[in-house]
Amino acid sequence: MAVVRTLLYLVVYPGLLFLFVYSTFCEWFDRKVYARLQNRMGPTHTGRFGLLQPIADFFKLMAKEDIVPEASDKRLFTVLPIIGLAVVSTAGLLLPVWNFDLANPGLTSFSGDIIVVLYLLSLPTLILFLAAWSSTNPFSTIGGARVLTMLFGYEVPLFLTILSPAILADSWRLAEIAAFYQAKPLLLLTNLLGFLVAVIAVQAKLERTPFDIPHAETEIVGGTFTEYSGKKLALFRLTFDIELVISSGLLATVFLGGFPGGAVVGFIHFVVKTLFVIFLLSLLRALTSRIRIDQVVSFAWKYLAPLAVLQLLVAILLKGLLS
Amino acid sequence: MSFQVPIGPQHPALKEPISLRMTVEGEVITDVDIRLGYNHRGLEKLAEEKNWIQNIYLVERICGICSHSHATCYVQGVEKLMELAPPRRGLYIRYLVSELERIHSHLLWLGVAGHEAGFDSFFMYTWRDREIVMDLLEMISGNRVHYAINTLGGVRRDLDEGQKAKILEGMVTLRKRSEYYFHIGANEPSFVGRIAGVGLLPKDKVVALCAVGPTARASGWARDVRKEDPYAVYGELDFEVATADTCDVLGRVVVRVKELLESYKLCEQMVRNLPAGDIAVKAPRKVKPGEVVSRYEAPRGENIHYIKANGTDKPERLKVRAPTLANYPATVEMLRKGFIADIPLIFAAIDPCICCAERAVTLVKAGSGEESVVRMSDLRRQAIARHQNAPVKRNAVWPL
Amino acid sequence: MTDAELIEKLKADLGDKVAEIANPARRRLFLKVAPSDIIAVTTRLHDAYGVVFLSTISGVDNGETFEIVYHFSTPETDFNLRTEIPRADPHLASITPVIPGAILYERELQDMFGMIVDGLPDPRPLVLPDDWPAENYPLRKDWKHTRPEEVIPGGKS
Repeated sequence: MAVVRTLLYLVVYPGLLFLFVYSTFCEWFDRKVYARLQNRMGPTHTGRFGLLQPIADFFKLMAKEDIVPEASDKRLFTVLPIIGLAVVSTAGLLLPVWNFDLANPGLTSFSGDIIVVLYLLSLPTLILFLAAWSSTNPFSTIGGARVLTMLFGYEVPLFLTILSPAILADSWRLAEIAAFYQAKPLLLLTNLLGFLVAVIAVQAKLERTPFDIPHAETEIVGGTFTEYSGKKLALFRLTFDIELVISSGLLATVFLGGFPGGAVVGFIHFVVKTLFVIFLLSLLRALTSRIRIDQVVSFAWKYLAPLAVLQLLVAILLKGLLS
Repeated sequence: MSFQVPIGPQHPALKEPISLRMTVEGEVITDVDIRLGYNHRGLEKLAEEKNWIQNIYLVERICGICSHSHATCYVQGVEKLMELAPPRRGLYIRYLVSELERIHSHLLWLGVAGHEAGFDSFFMYTWRDREIVMDLLEMISGNRVHYAINTLGGVRRDLDEGQKAKILEGMVTLRKRSEYYFHIGANEPSFVGRIAGVGLLPKDKVVALCAVGPTARASGWARDVRKEDPYAVYGELDFEVATADTCDVLGRVVVRVKELLESYKLCEQMVRNLPAGDIAVKAPRKVKPGEVVSRYEAPRGENIHYIKANGTDKPERLKVRAPTLANYPATVEMLRKGFIADIPLIFAAIDPCICCAERAVTLVKAGSGEESVVRMSDLRRQAIARHQNAPVKRNAVWPL
Repeated sequence: MTDAELIEKLKADLGDKVAEIANPARRRLFLKVAPSDIIAVTTRLHDAYGVVFLSTISGVDNGETFEIVYHFSTPETDFNLRTEIPRADPHLASITPVIPGAILYERELQDMFGMIVDGLPDPRPLVLPDDWPAENYPLRKDWKHTRPEEVIPGGKS
């Protein structure tokens, strides 16, 4: 029975199948919002309101010819998309929407899981870099170098801002942090600044405009993905979609009070809050133009990092006041 | 570490084939080489074999965006050779289409600049409004791309009162929207941060390298053929030459938006003061021997046609210089010491319109980086050989 | 300054370097100079008359000779400098030391007419493909385009 339950947990809910369906829905939502902000219709044809469009895109890519460049490191080139997908799906298991019960912690909810999620969310960046480097194309190589350069910009502010609510809640466990803020919702307001910084940093992590520099198509063609096609590209795109869900779920847990109310109500909270975060991300994407790589790094260190430190100081001072 | 990045002949940032070889060190460009000829169609040679009327439609096909510019430049030159005086109503309609074409071209360019900078929302909005002017052009001429409204001695279609009202109405909407874009383009921080100070071209370089059009005007060199050599109706109209002194891509955006506003003014003046009368006079079939230099301010800069006649119904020589060719030396200068991220912006900022051809393909081997030039027929032979030797793919046959 | 005054001034200034000055239309001047004087006249116009902008260079095949027309313009007047070089020995001096922007037009002349422009900083072909057969100059009057029959291996013959 336990084996079947674990399998269901990994494959159906909240494992691969659920993440696939929900992440494609989020992609649809993102595309629709982006399109409406640009005075377009967005997907309309496949399924009702075009809901099935991202799934159709995924299967179309799966059916396309898969080309591996001759000069590339073939083994690495092939295995990286799978590792990337595995890493973000693993991060998905740790969100406190399916292991909300504090009294009965499951295997995937433990003290320090916030660190594990952050670590698992950092790995795709390295995988992207390796993917770019192994394809040996000049465009990919430049893209890979840009991926790493950007990582040094946004990663530190993201960590600082996500950890400051944890410091205030005095816990390294996502479910406990959420429970702390559910008990004292007013304290969420003190983290507003951190939330904004985190949204921008997540936008950079997901490589969306204005931070879509590693695959800026008008500059370096496909950047990191120039040589990827067919199934491998489909897996990479799915990886990004799932990363979008996990990152917004993480922000919702830490900054928006988690998902209270058990399995059903909690799940509704999850949907509403992640969609809210994704809406903010889409808004940012529609309103800005791509900036240069040097501007990203200087922006991250001149504005984001000091604001994140300020948020950390606020959290520490508040904690002193409260205790 | 320095290596070569090939931008083109096929690249998402380029709408037409041209090859830019960038030698880069990290993100900084150290050297640039431009190669042309991927789109050369031998039009000047072809023009010597066609008669004066046929050539109008030939030169119109030099470019899809500034088609009317080439046709008008050619027609006004030939009319001088024929000593024809087209009726004023015909001239007003011809240059009304010119200004509408300038509006459509500049709106298109604004969208492209937004897209190259990754600002797709800007692109979507400007191209939506470009539809207004495209519809007006279709209403006037019946066509959206090659208007074919010019003929020797005038134009081929007349305007009625309803069309005049429609044009004025369109100008009001466009002016309102353009002012909003001007506000966005000059104030949205990520966009301005991206284009300010990029692609610097000081005025002395502009003069030395003979740049034309908005590229020259954005560096403070106020040269506009409409003003300094007022052809046809421009002497009677009231407009100003838009300039900027920032010498960068931001300046080129500002110049083009200002020119848009000037063009709306010009269109309104021409529609309101449209004289009555005929729209065309009959043109002779042959032309006396002679030569003429015809200049025209196209949306991208000065367009010049040198036409030489030998007394027959065909030209002896038709030399066309499109504005983009004059801007290439300046582009190389602008790209040097820039960032890779600035390539599409700088290159798009001259509003390139590439009309030149090649029948060879350059292949770069991924591993060794060695280059070889292959003829099309060899390439086809290789492709066929490869397919013959390759094993039949599993999914090559579709079982039903 | 009207065109007539300008012509008088040019005649006095350039002397016998200019063979004839024609003024077929308002604002259009056609100056005829010897090929050896082209740099001297261009430099003089550049320095003393503010002729800094070169619109283009046109080549014309006149049979025994090639005619080259340099189209300069200033905000007031268009100067068209005309010169002729023999077809048998088509050497022309480059004006890039005076006007660097002339380079593309001079390279085009080399491609299309087979003129040899001396002193070009970058004399590679401009618009013709790399495998273009030598001694084929498309804009010469005696050059006729014949489309080579493309043989497709394995195709219908």
